[in-house]
Amino acid sequence: MTAYLRNTIRELRAARSMTQQELADLIAVTRQTVNAIEGDKYSPSLEVAFRIAHVFAVPLEQVFQYIPPRPRLK
Amino acid sequence: MSNIFDMENNMSRLSFQEKMLWAQLLGIVAVVVFYGHFLVHSGPGHHYFHALLLVLLFLFATVRMFLRRRSGNVVEDERDRSIASIGARWSNIILWLGLVIILVLYWDRGSMRSANFLIGILFHLLVLAGSVRIIRELIAYRMSA
Repeated sequence: MTAYLRNTIRELRAARSMTQQELADLIAVTRQTVNAIEGDKYSPSLEVAFRIAHVFAVPLEQVFQYIPPRPRLK
Repeated sequence: MSNIFDMENNMSRLSFQEKMLWAQLLGIVAVVVFYGHFLVHSGPGHHYFHALLLVLLFLFATVRMFLRRRSGNVVEDERDRSIASIGARWSNIILWLGLVIILVLYWDRGSMRSANFLIGILFHLLVLAGSVRIIRELIAYRMSA
């Protein structure tokens, strides 16, 4: 029953030629945290998620996608 | 476009907090090694080790504060705080377990051997809890890197 949170930050950054450090500075986190979020190894808080969406000027669901867990068949 | 991905490929770059944790761990290892050497080569009744560790802790805190001020762009974000809370939780578990063991020992043996013995155990417990905290935080940083 594992749920996944995927994101498109890497693609959004690449489209804007933005480095991880530049994004990190804009949303007031470390570059390592941006890297962890991009790699789906850390789920950011709602506030940081909104900050990221605000930087790219896109809706939140365009940055983060929730993949619900598959229900177990009995 | 290549410069966008240059930094993310270089995973060896550590954050300020991670560097500080490594420095703390190395410091503790160095002191423990020295302590082992000291125990083997010195007679009873010397407590320089405790004083040495306190001096080292003070020096480390000073250096850390100096480095923080010097690099004013050091950011501590929510991930750092989350990892710090994980480390603190582990450290607290060790401390509570240790305190319970000390209380049981005390209950069992009355006045124990001496106050010095009790202080010694508490001191080692603090060092152990600190080491566990640092190692757990480093693991958490690596797992989410």
